[in-house]
Amino acid sequence: MSLKVTSSPHIFSSVNTRQLMFGVLIGLIPVAFASLYFFGIRALTLILNCLITSLISERIISWLRKKPSTLSDGSAVVTGLLLALILPPSTAWYAATLGSVFAIFIGKHIFGGLGANIFNPALIARAFLMAAYPKMLTTFIKPRTIDAVTSATPLVLKKFSQTSTGIRDLFLGNVSGSLGETSALCILIGSVYLLARKIIDWRIPLSLILTVAVISGTGVLLDPAKGSVLFHLLSGGVLLGAFFMATDPVTTPVTKKGRYIFGIACGCLIMVIRYFSGLPEGVMYSILFLNAFTPLINRYTKPKPFGR
Amino acid sequence: MITVIDHKEPQKAKPSEKFLTPKKLYLPLSQHTGKPSNPCVKISDLVQEAQLIAKADGYISSNLHAPVSGKIAAVERYNHPVLQSAEAIVLEPSGTNKEYLFSEPAKSLKKEELLEIIAQAGIVGMGGAAFPSQVKLKPPKKIITLIINGCECEPYLTCDHRLMLENLKEIFLGIEIICRIIEPSKVIFAIEENKPDVIKQLNLYVNTKKFNLPALETVILPHEYPQGSEKQLIYNTTNRKVPGGKLPLDVGCLVHNVATCFAIYQAVYYSKPLIERLVSFCGEALTSPKNIWVKIGTSLRELFEQKILELDCEPAKIISGGPLMGIALTDLDYPILKSTGGFLFLKPSPDPVSEQPCLKCARCVDNCPMGLLPLEYVRQVKRENYESLTGYNINDCIECGCCTYGCPAKISLVHYIKIGKGYVPKSN
Repeated sequence: MSLKVTSSPHIFSSVNTRQLMFGVLIGLIPVAFASLYFFGIRALTLILNCLITSLISERIISWLRKKPSTLSDGSAVVTGLLLALILPPSTAWYAATLGSVFAIFIGKHIFGGLGANIFNPALIARAFLMAAYPKMLTTFIKPRTIDAVTSATPLVLKKFSQTSTGIRDLFLGNVSGSLGETSALCILIGSVYLLARKIIDWRIPLSLILTVAVISGTGVLLDPAKGSVLFHLLSGGVLLGAFFMATDPVTTPVTKKGRYIFGIACGCLIMVIRYFSGLPEGVMYSILFLNAFTPLINRYTKPKPFGR
Repeated sequence: MITVIDHKEPQKAKPSEKFLTPKKLYLPLSQHTGKPSNPCVKISDLVQEAQLIAKADGYISSNLHAPVSGKIAAVERYNHPVLQSAEAIVLEPSGTNKEYLFSEPAKSLKKEELLEIIAQAGIVGMGGAAFPSQVKLKPPKKIITLIINGCECEPYLTCDHRLMLENLKEIFLGIEIICRIIEPSKVIFAIEENKPDVIKQLNLYVNTKKFNLPALETVILPHEYPQGSEKQLIYNTTNRKVPGGKLPLDVGCLVHNVATCFAIYQAVYYSKPLIERLVSFCGEALTSPKNIWVKIGTSLRELFEQKILELDCEPAKIISGGPLMGIALTDLDYPILKSTGGFLFLKPSPDPVSEQPCLKCARCVDNCPMGLLPLEYVRQVKRENYESLTGYNINDCIECGCCTYGCPAKISLVHYIKIGKGYVPKSN
């Protein structure tokens, strides 16, 4: 009889890394469909481009690092898809490819691979592309057009020409913006799935969204031209960021108190950028900024053990 | 706290069986917390069933009795599930089992006399910790609430369940004795909701006030793990938190397992020392999982040799105890101890996954009943940064296994915690 001897426990839940990544992918399906619906073939090529490049990069890096292949953990697929969904539909193929390589190489593996990265790989890649191709990354096109008709995003319209966009269009996604950011409806459908399956924790999205709501509510009371609460929640990357980026376990706090702090600070920063900076949108920078503070937040929000 | 599939079928529905005629017994001198007992017999001595064969050595120690009549064959080192190997008395049975006579204890028996009976009978906490009962029943502080632990929150194990179902009256007579000793103002019988058959009987006893007990209350707890863990149980039944590094008696509570209450009953009503217990034999690798009354010291191998148990397939793991806190054994040559609640025979898992990188998903943090940051222990132990472990209160960890159970990266957190604890001084 050959028996296995290990430390307790001896039974395990069925949840595993691959399942979690796969879960996030399922949550992104409605968002991906929305992007295909609104941006057609451009969305399709961008998504395929980012997915394939991410997977190839992931394979190459494990070969370079002389480690077993990490393709099967599914994290590269998630990174690739997320990156595609936060790029403008008119992003050039080479920029998307470069971004995907950057996400996997610099965003993740330079820190030691999955679990060791400080910044959300998809967001850091987008920040990199923003620096490399500022014009391309801030040029958006109208949804559901065959020719690339350039159009400003609702946030740009609001900030620089005081034009409001209809809430209905914002909710459904019939506005210009990054691939997966436009349809609030589809993001919410995916989020409900992630929350119901307990793939993500509700604390960061809730505190982030409430903070944005409270600040924009106060803002619109003081200056009606600032945009309503719903406008701020539904436009730009708030929802996609709150549910799919700020819930990345690797780069966000592990403590419950820390998660509230992360969400609130992120929400504040988003509104500060939207109100007071030269940029129309600040979700990406806010989350990246807070990613950097995650270790510090963890350290200062250690929970009190039972009975102490 | 976590919710685990309880795997208690089919053994919980089967009446308990008996196997009281072993061919050889291995009786470790250390079956309790504290100093090992001191043998008071010599090799080739003939002993009677229930005769004292090793005396308690010191205050925190326990007596050991011959589970059967027979000859002392040896005093030698033998396998021990907790200590790996320990000094044990080897007993070769001969002759018949002893008859025990029922005699109601005199009402005039004083606390000290009852305590002495319990001490003499070598009773220890049978829920797993094996703390000598006579010490626990002499608390230096006033006990307000006596909590009877009938949770049995570990999956698979059903020995407490069967015992409660078949011997609830006797358990209550045991509780009466405990109440005479510590005079609590309240008794709480704590049980998980997954034992409705026992709860029904319990309600009957609570309503009819059949027993001479102070205020008795049944608390039905959700089926969660580790519901039966002392500190969690006290909190969930009385809302009192035992401070870190303190004992239940510091919040006026005392917790006793149902099997211990039954052993106390047998010691007082039958003058029978702790020489037998009900043990669960379960797991998918057994053809017929069941609960069996066995003599303390019976080796696992003998149960198979005598066809009391049969294997359905080669087990991947044999575990002494439950699946979440039990100890993996290397073979069948292990004795049943006073505190052994069960043995588990697990089939090979279909796809054993190796350790993956930590995602910091914090499921371990959410699951930890002690409110700790288990992932930090892994990180610090891997870096050999042992000094920082105290700051994360590693000694508060009860090693319940909830963190490892729920880890998607399949990291054996308890393993790292055990390593870490080895480098941290025990003081709190």
